[in-house]
Amino acid sequence: MNTALVLSALLFLVLLLSVWVVPVMGYNTQQRYQPEQPVPFSHKHHVAGLGLDCRYCHTSVETSSFAGIPPTETCMTCHSQIWTHAAVLEPVRQSFATGVPLRWTEVYRLPDYVYFNHSIHIAKGIGCTECHGPIGDMALTWKWPTLYMSWCLSCHRDPAPHLRPLNQVFNPFWKRTPDTPSGKLLMAAYHIHPETLSDCGVCHR
Amino acid sequence: MSIAHRDYWRSLEELAESPGFAQLVEREAPRFRDMLGPLDRRNFLRLMAAAMALGGLSDCGPEAEPRQLLPYVEQPPGIVPGQARYYATATTRSGFATGVLIEHRMARPVKVEGNPDHPASLGAASAIMQASILELYDPRRAQTILGQGQIDSWEHLITALFDRREQLLARGGAGLRLLTGAVTSPSLRAQIALLQQQFPAMRWHQWEPLGRGNERIASERMLGRPLDRRFDLDNADIIFAIESDLISNVPGWLAYARQFAAHRRPDETGGKMSRIYAIESTPTLIGAKADHRLALGPADLAAAMRYLAAITGAGPQDWQQTPVADAAWLRAAADDLNQHKGRVLVHAGREQPVEIHLLADAINNALGAFGQTIRLIEPVAPSGSTDQSLEALVGDMTAGRVDTLVMLETNPVYDAPADLDFTAALNRVPLSVSLALYADETAMASTWLVPATQEYEAWGDARAFDGTITIQQPQVRRLYNGHSPHELLAVLHGNTLPIDYQLVRDFWQNETHQRGIGDFDRFWHEALRIGIVENSAAPTVTATPNASALTSLQAAEKPVPGVQLLFREDPLVGGGRDVNNPWLLETPRPFTRLTWDNAALIAPATAKRLGLGIGDVLEIADHGRKVRAPVFVLPGQAADCITLPLGFGHTAGGLGADIGFDAYRLRTSAAPWITRGATLSRTGETYRLATVQGHDRVAGRDLVREGTLTEYQDNPDFLRRPETDQSLYPEYKYPRYAWAMAIDLNSCIGCQSCVVACQAENNIPTVGKDMVLQERIMHWLRIDRYYHGPVDNPAVAFEPVPCMHCEQAPCEVVCPVHATVHDHDGLNLMVYNRCIGTRFCSNNCPYKVRRFNYFGFAERDDRPPESWNPEVTVRNRGVMEKCTYCIQRIRHAEIEADKQDRLVPDGAIQTACQQSCPTQAIIFGNRNDRDSGVARRKASLLDYTLLDELNTRPRTSYAALIRNPNPKIGDREA
Repeated sequence: MNTALVLSALLFLVLLLSVWVVPVMGYNTQQRYQPEQPVPFSHKHHVAGLGLDCRYCHTSVETSSFAGIPPTETCMTCHSQIWTHAAVLEPVRQSFATGVPLRWTEVYRLPDYVYFNHSIHIAKGIGCTECHGPIGDMALTWKWPTLYMSWCLSCHRDPAPHLRPLNQVFNPFWKRTPDTPSGKLLMAAYHIHPETLSDCGVCHR
Repeated sequence: MSIAHRDYWRSLEELAESPGFAQLVEREAPRFRDMLGPLDRRNFLRLMAAAMALGGLSDCGPEAEPRQLLPYVEQPPGIVPGQARYYATATTRSGFATGVLIEHRMARPVKVEGNPDHPASLGAASAIMQASILELYDPRRAQTILGQGQIDSWEHLITALFDRREQLLARGGAGLRLLTGAVTSPSLRAQIALLQQQFPAMRWHQWEPLGRGNERIASERMLGRPLDRRFDLDNADIIFAIESDLISNVPGWLAYARQFAAHRRPDETGGKMSRIYAIESTPTLIGAKADHRLALGPADLAAAMRYLAAITGAGPQDWQQTPVADAAWLRAAADDLNQHKGRVLVHAGREQPVEIHLLADAINNALGAFGQTIRLIEPVAPSGSTDQSLEALVGDMTAGRVDTLVMLETNPVYDAPADLDFTAALNRVPLSVSLALYADETAMASTWLVPATQEYEAWGDARAFDGTITIQQPQVRRLYNGHSPHELLAVLHGNTLPIDYQLVRDFWQNETHQRGIGDFDRFWHEALRIGIVENSAAPTVTATPNASALTSLQAAEKPVPGVQLLFREDPLVGGGRDVNNPWLLETPRPFTRLTWDNAALIAPATAKRLGLGIGDVLEIADHGRKVRAPVFVLPGQAADCITLPLGFGHTAGGLGADIGFDAYRLRTSAAPWITRGATLSRTGETYRLATVQGHDRVAGRDLVREGTLTEYQDNPDFLRRPETDQSLYPEYKYPRYAWAMAIDLNSCIGCQSCVVACQAENNIPTVGKDMVLQERIMHWLRIDRYYHGPVDNPAVAFEPVPCMHCEQAPCEVVCPVHATVHDHDGLNLMVYNRCIGTRFCSNNCPYKVRRFNYFGFAERDDRPPESWNPEVTVRNRGVMEKCTYCIQRIRHAEIEADKQDRLVPDGAIQTACQQSCPTQAIIFGNRNDRDSGVARRKASLLDYTLLDELNTRPRTSYAALIRNPNPKIGDREA
């Protein structure tokens, strides 16, 4: 009798774990995933340190679905002048000399059936850090969110708290202040209709 | 008001209500049991265990393999990752160019669209044009140079040709022959002219297996010289079509089809409509659109034309005395023509004999069509004299007078007339070079095979039907070591390092200099950018038609008893040129709805007399040459005529090898289009033909509504039904957009362009013949073909059927996992990653527009990954799919509009089917916008929805078919 009780309690626990805990464990979500890159590029140094704008490298983020990975020549605009002999930059110089692209490892990977568009999020006041986390403070880029559909939907169902003024979208250190217009106000100003944002066809097609 | 209801049927089996047909329709997967074999308990458990085991293995844990991102080293200007770019060029068939825009994603061509600025396209793209993207990527194309059947190199070929060149130069080019198809390319013609200067004794032969020679000869006799025609259908109130290919094949047909359709929509033209008469031996698209049609054998047709000529005053009056069948019909048509002098066009198809063309032209002349509906221009692809024909070449080859033969993208071993025996002649030529896209019959029989570049890989130029020139620019670096015709000719000319870019550019530099165009760079870039050379259309010329051209014509021959063979081009594989393209093979033919095969088309009455049924294999023998062909019984075919579609039965090449039968083997140079005296014998064998026409049945529902112009004028809403609007389900609200589509049955000509456009845009895989037989074809958009009336000459209606996007969709409520759901714009969405493949939705769909991936069809399609459209998911096995209204295009337009804080303007979204349609039969847009094109079409009184009694409230609606019959002839059914 007791054994049966213990067994069923165990079974219940296992089920509970497999349904509620395992899926959100780091192993599964791959949060803080930080792959090795050919060049240890630091957003912290370039953004927090030097104050480069996101769009200096990610040129198509306002116009296209894809934000854009900078071509080698973008790196070389500066690194043909400074740190010209740094060992870590050897792959960049190699790439520029030989014409062979650098091979970065993708950190944020969406499934093939998800069609994400950067430009519309930028246009509607979603800052980079809403999805990329503290990117301005990352020495090596790591994955901040789970990228689970529930995470996407949490914002698509209730975008107001995530909105910011358009001139702050590219500010990685922006914080809401008492003067910031409320999310509701911004949502009205941007003509966002949250009831349509959770239609499957918004992202899947 | 009673509803005009007609009984439509789709196939002869359905009309006969045979028990076999009922069985076939009962099961959606009819031969599933045959495939599995007998299924006992043990096998069942085995299969289920395997399914469980495999099911458990899928997708556990996070993705193991990291993906890499490769940025440019130097980003080319203008390329934005994630955005499409378009480059203009042209595609040619039989030499004639049609302008295209090629969509690129990250520098990879993914889709072909029509070029709106090009006169032969006006934005439309035919099925063959759409499918050309697959030809570009086809891994079965010839990839290596073969010398004597061995792998060889371009350098060796140059050496061999240079050795030969020395000898040829010494004897002034005697023994050197060039064989091409029709050539419109100005630069290639200039190169050939140069070659002829260098080798004065060289001869250039041209061979088009499906050429328009009869038309040309008639033109010579009628107008004094060979002239091309352009038609102005805006001026044509009456079109008399004699097995005409005016809206299916003539160069420029896409543009003609647009003009044609513009005069067939009474709800947009204020009740005005053109009237079409058709007489033909085998069904044509214009015959299907005709208001009156006769199915006549060739002899009857010749007699009918003489009778018509006599009444219209174009021919001797005593031709009226000869009794003809259907005299009353012809007299009424002739009276109609006489009453519309200057507003008529008589057009005969290229297969018609010279006398029919002469008769047609004489009637055109008598009724004042020249200058009104027919404009004349100098020939766009001038062909040489008869001593430069293929016959002359074969004669010389057999006599040993040819020692060097260069063939540019032509396949005479396959398509030359059977009596010429080109293969034997070719074997007598010591050095033959074949530039070929595929390792086809001719290439394999030549001493050298040189892989050709596909048109999107090389520089070139070509002219359209009206003479407009397009400079073709390569869209991608050569994929398979091909060489362009310009390069091969340059080698003959003595150039060891020919580069197509230089050859074409130098020609145009010289040309612009001569034309007095100062700024060449501007000219060059502008021509490439817009896809045409401005003001290059040929000017119209005048010629006085010879009124006495008919005097040499005898009275019509008496019909000879017995069966006649008609050789006709297959509507999709272009006489064999496009037979290696899986999209074109799997697209159902407009009338037969056949895929993956050709068949001997035979009239129902003749089939009955000969005791033949669909699929019976017939042996056709003529002059000792035999062909075995499966029979297809085709309503509307003239009695005692067997149509043999050309282009199949290849023995070498790509995918198309060994598919269908080769009708060229019965075709002779004396009788290229029709032959009598063939013997038929039944083999007793049967062959399974994959036709999709019986896949569903009509069961008496009025899916096509049809009426006459008089009925419409008397009571414009005569086809409407009282609306039923009650619903048990809660109403949806569509505050912003309500995407909707309207399809005009009056405009649809059944050309299948939209079917292939949809396939290209939406990554729809091909399934193969076996799967088509099991009704697993994947096309999201089909064009149903309906008949009504007598089987020997029924009226035809084409009806494109995409997803209806019902507002009360039956599919949505039965999905157990919410994989198909409604959205706020009224789209019926399909969420592939949710679908578990129960197929309930398909069962519950009254329109049968859903398609299920029984296998990983997309994985099995052998095309490189970069050729798929990256904006659309490539679907997996076990997933349901259907038309999405091109949701990727909707989302793109919505995002762009949202960024600018405005609504999507009307016309900003074109679905792929709409874009490719030559007649603008399909229109898409926001129904909430009262001024949008789609809302206006839906406001038409002809607008109706399919199965409206089900109250599904489809977003796709149709404009009912209106015909404009001559009251003196009366209804076809009468």
